[in-house]
Amino acid sequence: MRHCRKTLAALAASSMLAAGAGTALAQQEVTISVWAIAGSTENYRIDAIKMAADILEREYAIRGEDLKINIESKTFTQWSEYKQAVTLAGEAGTAPNIVVSSHTDIAPWAQAGIIVPVEDYVDLDAWPLNDIYPNLVEIASYQGQVWAIPQDTESRPFFFWNDYMKAIGYSDEDLAGLADKVRAGEYTLQNVLEDAKKMQDAGLVEPGKGFWPRPSNGGDFWQFYMSYGGEFATDDGRLLFDREAMKGAYQFFVDAVNLGVTRKNHLGTPWDQWHGALTSGQVGMWHGGTWQYSEWTGKYGLDFFKNVTFTLIPSGGNERGRANTLTHPLVYMITRQDNEDEMVISGELITIASEPRINALHAIKSAHLGITRSEEKVSLYADDRWTREATEVLLPFATAAPNNPNFGQYFEVMMSGLQAAWTGQKTVEQAVADAEKELKAALGDKIVIR
Amino acid sequence: MGNSRHLGLMLLAPAGIFVILFFLAPVVLTAVFGFTNMSTATGISGGAYVVSDSTMLALKERYGEQELAERLLRKSYVIDEAGLQAALEGGAARPTVEELREKYLGASFGSRREVERLLKKLYNRPAGIRQIKKIAAGFERSVVNVRYDTPEALLAAIEGYGITLTEAQKEALAEVSYTGWVFTAQNFKTMVELPDTWRTMANTLFYVFTTLILFNTGFALVLAIATHYMPDRPAGFFRSVWLLPRITPPVLYVLMWKWLAWDNGFLATILEPMGFAPRNWLLDTPANAWTFIILINGFVGASMGMLIFSSAIKAIPQPLFYASEVDGASRWQQIRHIILPQLRWPILFITSYQTLSLLTSFEYILLATNGGPGGATEVWALATYMKALNNYGGALQYGYGAAMSLVLVVIGVALSLVYLRMFNFKALTESPKIEQ
Repeated sequence: MRHCRKTLAALAASSMLAAGAGTALAQQEVTISVWAIAGSTENYRIDAIKMAADILEREYAIRGEDLKINIESKTFTQWSEYKQAVTLAGEAGTAPNIVVSSHTDIAPWAQAGIIVPVEDYVDLDAWPLNDIYPNLVEIASYQGQVWAIPQDTESRPFFFWNDYMKAIGYSDEDLAGLADKVRAGEYTLQNVLEDAKKMQDAGLVEPGKGFWPRPSNGGDFWQFYMSYGGEFATDDGRLLFDREAMKGAYQFFVDAVNLGVTRKNHLGTPWDQWHGALTSGQVGMWHGGTWQYSEWTGKYGLDFFKNVTFTLIPSGGNERGRANTLTHPLVYMITRQDNEDEMVISGELITIASEPRINALHAIKSAHLGITRSEEKVSLYADDRWTREATEVLLPFATAAPNNPNFGQYFEVMMSGLQAAWTGQKTVEQAVADAEKELKAALGDKIVIR
Repeated sequence: MGNSRHLGLMLLAPAGIFVILFFLAPVVLTAVFGFTNMSTATGISGGAYVVSDSTMLALKERYGEQELAERLLRKSYVIDEAGLQAALEGGAARPTVEELREKYLGASFGSRREVERLLKKLYNRPAGIRQIKKIAAGFERSVVNVRYDTPEALLAAIEGYGITLTEAQKEALAEVSYTGWVFTAQNFKTMVELPDTWRTMANTLFYVFTTLILFNTGFALVLAIATHYMPDRPAGFFRSVWLLPRITPPVLYVLMWKWLAWDNGFLATILEPMGFAPRNWLLDTPANAWTFIILINGFVGASMGMLIFSSAIKAIPQPLFYASEVDGASRWQQIRHIILPQLRWPILFITSYQTLSLLTSFEYILLATNGGPGGATEVWALATYMKALNNYGGALQYGYGAAMSLVLVVIGVALSLVYLRMFNFKALTESPKIEQ
């Protein structure tokens, strides 16, 4: 009897093993790699995909399919390295399945065949994708196709240190109404220079710290081109170089240096020095990004609403000038792969990752703005004062850079001209003329010079 | 004799393969790439033929084919027998296809999304968005935004949709719809036209020759001669100290310089009490930036020359020094008449080797000033790297970058030839007259 029981147990064990082996064979396992540019608070660019993988596995299981999704991830912090890595991996046929990058990468990567139109893999008519703000879907589109799913959005305001503004004569009411004045074009970049100078003259801030621009290369500087009436592209999709607006933007920084409110070698200042100075009240005015709020209030302990007022970037004060802000949404893109299944699963993952509750985690943790209307109903999101106010004051006036395969080149030329003028290597006229010459030579009829 | 010759060739073959693969091929490829407009957008591996808004804009503007461009851009999806058949073959359920045929045969739509919406409304709705997209794609009757590998495939598809093209139109379409790179000499034309090219070239020559003369040969020579006249132990110590910059990882080494020069760094801190306002000494003016760059590179570069020159001085027969001292020669006379003439070979070697390496080296500049302030310290190799491989906007211009590299190759070869001539290489390699 005892012997018999042993045999039975052995049989049971072996049948269980066999059953286990059977399951293992039926299981479909897929590895999806995701690359993202992500600072310390931006882990949900990747984590949202991991959460989505968990949900998707459960959905497949309910449908009776045993799918195991492994997520491999890699993050970068420098744009230039990130874009280089994705581009070269794409050329080598080893691109990750999903990339989170700038919407301005859509055009070149689409033309090169590195990415596929996301609309071929996801249902844009189904929730949550049908709930994404239409202007964001527009920003993720190129040549009439939707190529990517917005991952977050932001904008780039102008900031004022309250105490110093009050010390040079602004009342609390003035500060409360500043955003409206800026929007109406009544407070211009010329006022910025004057007030920065006043703060320095009054000894509130050290020379060269009246106005601190972003310390490195970045899309933010296009805002000053827009402040003077500049536009990115013509109606038929060609890039546009507006000579007068570019001159205005370059001249603004040169004036700031000549007045002594901005340092001539400001570009290249280490980021931590920049954050540290402006969150400790060493700087009168600056411009930055909405997402930096999380770093300022977290790492640097800034009491934001007590100390800081924010507005659009003021108009240049010329006739065509306008207050503005740039939004630079990051997007999820699917890369071209030989394995169709992987592309389909990538699409499913991106769709789930865009759900309001998951996206709100990223939005609030990293101080970005949400992508769907329903996100405003997620309490984590709705309870956040910064997100709410930034959405109201800034987003309705936000402009995005164009999706054009040659915009990256235009960007480089614009920036190197600005740097040359700012640091005094070239006069403003010379810098604008050289930029124009280079763009004409490099892009020919793909850019309109006006 | 013949056999051993073959043996030699065979023994050299692996080395030959490596030389071809890793030395010759990159130069040849650079030359080829330099004559293309290759970029991020065109891709490296070749493009596709696509009818899109931008390619059709070119068709209108370059060839005046307004009507054709608009016709090609018209998107159309038609529920026809061919599409239904394709759906069946693609695994669509028969009732779905039957329902489509019954209710919508002949219907046409302007976008795939409309077809998808229609499919979703069917009583026999296909299961899952994947299936819906597949069926909808089968009804597409236009070429808009479809990537074709060859112009023939694109033209065949267009003709398949009932559009007849003339030969001229075919040629124009093949040209404008191509998204990949083409051969062109435009890079060199652009290079000549741009004012920044000349500034970058002048920067490069200044950087290479100043660093070379002051440090990589000049200071190296001073170090070698100074340590030659020192007792062995301190001489060894000094040489080791001068090797430190070379063996420190570049990122760390430059970071230490930055700590020295930042506006809250060491220099700013000690100079402030003396009345100098704190500033970023590294990037304050182009002159500052150049001074730092030359020091940063020079301290690294001097060590190699120092080692080579020291060993060359050691190889000078000692009796020459004894004899000169007996004759009452001063140290200067020894340097002038014994050491320097004997160092001609190593000086030639170091000068040409370091010229080439300075021409192509940019890592310390990239880390220290990144070409700033305002491009004042941008050298050719750095500009090439930025254009071709690393820039903020992600617009990698492989073609233009390769063209710039090619210029560097040409300059390098030309300078090497000049050096050989200058140092009278022929005389240096002549067999000694005494043995003739």
